[in-house]
Amino acid sequence: MIVVNYLAAVALLCIGLYAVLTRRNMIKMVMGLSLMEASTYLFMISLAYRSGSTAPVLLSPPPGQSAGSLVHGNVADPVLQNFCLTAVVIGVAVTAVFLSVVVRIAQHYRTLDAGQVREMRG
Amino acid sequence: MKQQNGTMSRAESPGVRDEAAEHEPEHRRWLGAVLAAGMAAALGTAMIGIPREHAALPAVARYALDVSLPRWGLTEPVNEIVYGTRGFDTFGETFLLLAAVISVVLITRSREARRGYFGEAQAGQREQAQCDPPEPAGATERAARSAERREQGGLAPGDARGPATPDATPLGTPAPETADAMTVVVRTAIRIALPVLAVAGLYLVAWGYSPGGGFPGGAVLLGVVLLVYAGFGRRRISTIIRPGLLEAIELGGAGAIIVTELLGLLLRGSFSANWLPIAAPQTILSGGIAQLFSASELIEVSTGLAIAVFALIGMGHDWSPDERSGPDDQGGPR
Repeated sequence: MIVVNYLAAVALLCIGLYAVLTRRNMIKMVMGLSLMEASTYLFMISLAYRSGSTAPVLLSPPPGQSAGSLVHGNVADPVLQNFCLTAVVIGVAVTAVFLSVVVRIAQHYRTLDAGQVREMRG
Repeated sequence: MKQQNGTMSRAESPGVRDEAAEHEPEHRRWLGAVLAAGMAAALGTAMIGIPREHAALPAVARYALDVSLPRWGLTEPVNEIVYGTRGFDTFGETFLLLAAVISVVLITRSREARRGYFGEAQAGQREQAQCDPPEPAGATERAARSAERREQGGLAPGDARGPATPDATPLGTPAPETADAMTVVVRTAIRIALPVLAVAGLYLVAWGYSPGGGFPGGAVLLGVVLLVYAGFGRRRISTIIRPGLLEAIELGGAGAIIVTELLGLLLRGSFSANWLPIAAPQTILSGGIAQLFSASELIEVSTGLAIAVFALIGMGHDWSPDERSGPDDQGGPR
């Protein structure tokens, strides 16, 4: 049933994409991009899930298992969790750059409407 | 602030309505819907075919789980992947974050030199001191100032900004509340929560128990700074949150990461190889260079995020005058 999570991630990505494509308020476009990023996190964490598995932590494993058996047993995929950490940091960095650009555009053009930011003013 | 007041007064005046609040501008709604639906169909079809929860772990994950405890002494395989197996990936990500912070610093750079992220402009101070040196207050001015102080409920003499710390503010004064700090309830809660947050965050990073090490730890440190800023006001953090200091520390962290990784190349023959002795698991030195990398990452991430956040907050000072409206309309620079 984890495929429901995959499809939810697709839905989230498409909601974000729709917001970026149709909104003209630049803050909402950045929010749409953040939604698309969030869908990536949901997708990668869902992809790491294994049915009946435990967390990839070798310290004090659950009853009936040792650290050695955990290594070869049923744990969630740690590599995808690493990718998710990377994606979170990159998402924060990209959002910060976008927001600072949006604030500068708002200060320069006195509008957040992307449709009105057309003229080149020095 | 004045921008908001201007918008509000326009919205409240009869006959003129604030259009932005009434109507959300959109464009090409149907094209957007078709493209988003096409994307959903394509990705949804792809999602049906990818591995699900019963698939075996990929080889790279099994390798990381295998080497985590014997070779690195880390009980946290995610940490081992971030700083060991896929250390080069994290190395690149670090410098992507650094590039983003540098972009934010460049974009948000103010047009006038300022003392800090919040300080007033200091560009014209020297000229002002030459042209208009401060004069001793006359009898009229002293009388007017003391009358104003009485009216404001006896704040510290000579300090129009209020007492030195928010805790010294007398309760129940007739003067308007300063927006400098939050109430005593919030300040007490922050005083209790802050040490717990800081110690827990740093402990998890130092012992290598937190997946991702320095990344969540840096976010926790930023949270500590933001709590102090929100609760106690900007003057409490202004000695630490300065561009000169934060940028130097951030570049120090980035330099430490480069040195850590390059020493692997020089001493062990491969970039990001471990060159430190591995201690027993669950100690502060158990991960070798993974712990060093993680600590440098903590420095880099916490200062980088702080620079980005406070540069964005400080941008509020930088509104340029609106050329389209006359000086009578808006009343000076905003």
